[in-house]
Amino acid sequence: MHTLLTLGELLLFPGLAYLVTVALLLAWVDRKALAVLQGRVGPPIYQPLADLLKLLGKEDLDTEGSDARLAALLPMISLACALTAGLMTPVGNHAVISFEGDLMVTLFLLSVPTLGLFLAGWIVPSVYNMLGGNRSLLQYFCYEVPLLLGLAGPAALARTWRLAALMSAQSAYHWHVLAMPVGFAVATLGLIGKLERVPLDTPHAKAEIGAGPLTEYSGRKLALWRLTAWVQTLVGINLMVAVYLGGADVVWPYWGFGVYAVKVVGYMGGLALVQALYARLRVDQVAEMSWRLLVPLGLLQLAVTVWMGA
Amino acid sequence: MERVLRWARRRSPWVLHYNSGGCNGCDIELLDVLTPRWDVERLGIVKEAAPRHADILVCTGPITLKSREPLLRIYEQIPEPKWVVALGACACSGSLFGGSYHMLGGVDQLLPVARYVPGCPCRPEAIITALAELLETI
Repeated sequence: MHTLLTLGELLLFPGLAYLVTVALLLAWVDRKALAVLQGRVGPPIYQPLADLLKLLGKEDLDTEGSDARLAALLPMISLACALTAGLMTPVGNHAVISFEGDLMVTLFLLSVPTLGLFLAGWIVPSVYNMLGGNRSLLQYFCYEVPLLLGLAGPAALARTWRLAALMSAQSAYHWHVLAMPVGFAVATLGLIGKLERVPLDTPHAKAEIGAGPLTEYSGRKLALWRLTAWVQTLVGINLMVAVYLGGADVVWPYWGFGVYAVKVVGYMGGLALVQALYARLRVDQVAEMSWRLLVPLGLLQLAVTVWMGA
Repeated sequence: MERVLRWARRRSPWVLHYNSGGCNGCDIELLDVLTPRWDVERLGIVKEAAPRHADILVCTGPITLKSREPLLRIYEQIPEPKWVVALGACACSGSLFGGSYHMLGGVDQLLPVARYVPGCPCRPEAIITALAELLETI
């Protein structure tokens, strides 16, 4: 019975089926919010699903000179890591796996798709792929530290690296975003870099390097990469909601999931707003902003938090 | 299965745009179609940057001898199933450049064209109508 229950959690809720469905819906929320902000009508609600199915049904080309097996394996590994990270971030009040330090493991699992993306660009002998892959690796060095510093503040305040404990700590006093707005901003910018969204989307700048590391991928592989990106977005937002926005507040015990869902959609809308407001930064500007601005700010926030908390 | 795929293909056409030697007029009309006024994302149409991501190749301008090879290579890179739309009078027939010493003529001299959109430049309404008609036939 217990095994069946665990299997259900892994495959249905809040595992594979749930994560994929919600990731697709969230991708729609993103595009729709951007369209509304730009004064357009925007795509219908089934759009990401149609995109995914169409890509799955298209011809899958292998590029001459690249390693076909590795090219097929990379998106699978990346998707698996993103989904595993999804098991650790709380959905509503509940996470499948929860232990001391799951925040760090989630972050590590979320960085695997970026490395996969770099490799996917590297193994194809095409200029666009290689440049895109290199840029995504460069950006990885830029956003990972601010993101980590941004998430370390709340962890230092609550004295735990466990997401569930971070959430319950917030319902005891207040949301972390109110106490540490600077840390929230730094972590959000780090997350935008991780998800390669505007304004930090140099790895797939259309006008410069085609579709970046995925230029030469089509059909099923491209579908898996898209799905990975969408699941990554969902998991990243889950993480921010749990660490900074109080997750599912336990004020209304039966409405926990609803509160959490509203927060996730709201945060997605915020990311879409940033996308509508700002233009893409250059590669060097990304590096400069991250190391000259975000890292010192994140360190300052962390120091103040530790000093106040001590 | 076949029906599900057809449903998805009809609702998610990704467009690749290639100018094979036109004057840029039709290109601007095509970009117009993506703006808030016309908003083809309603139909799921997105402009993609790489041939391998695309479903529909939208070609503007007559084919010059110089752009013949690149156009062929781009078309061959698009994974099946794929369609070609000829945008503007030049892409349809070669127009006033037809028979010129450095021109091949319309796009259908080289590739199988699914829809022709005449006009110089073609109007956004015409582009949307052609794409919607093309989607009906998928």
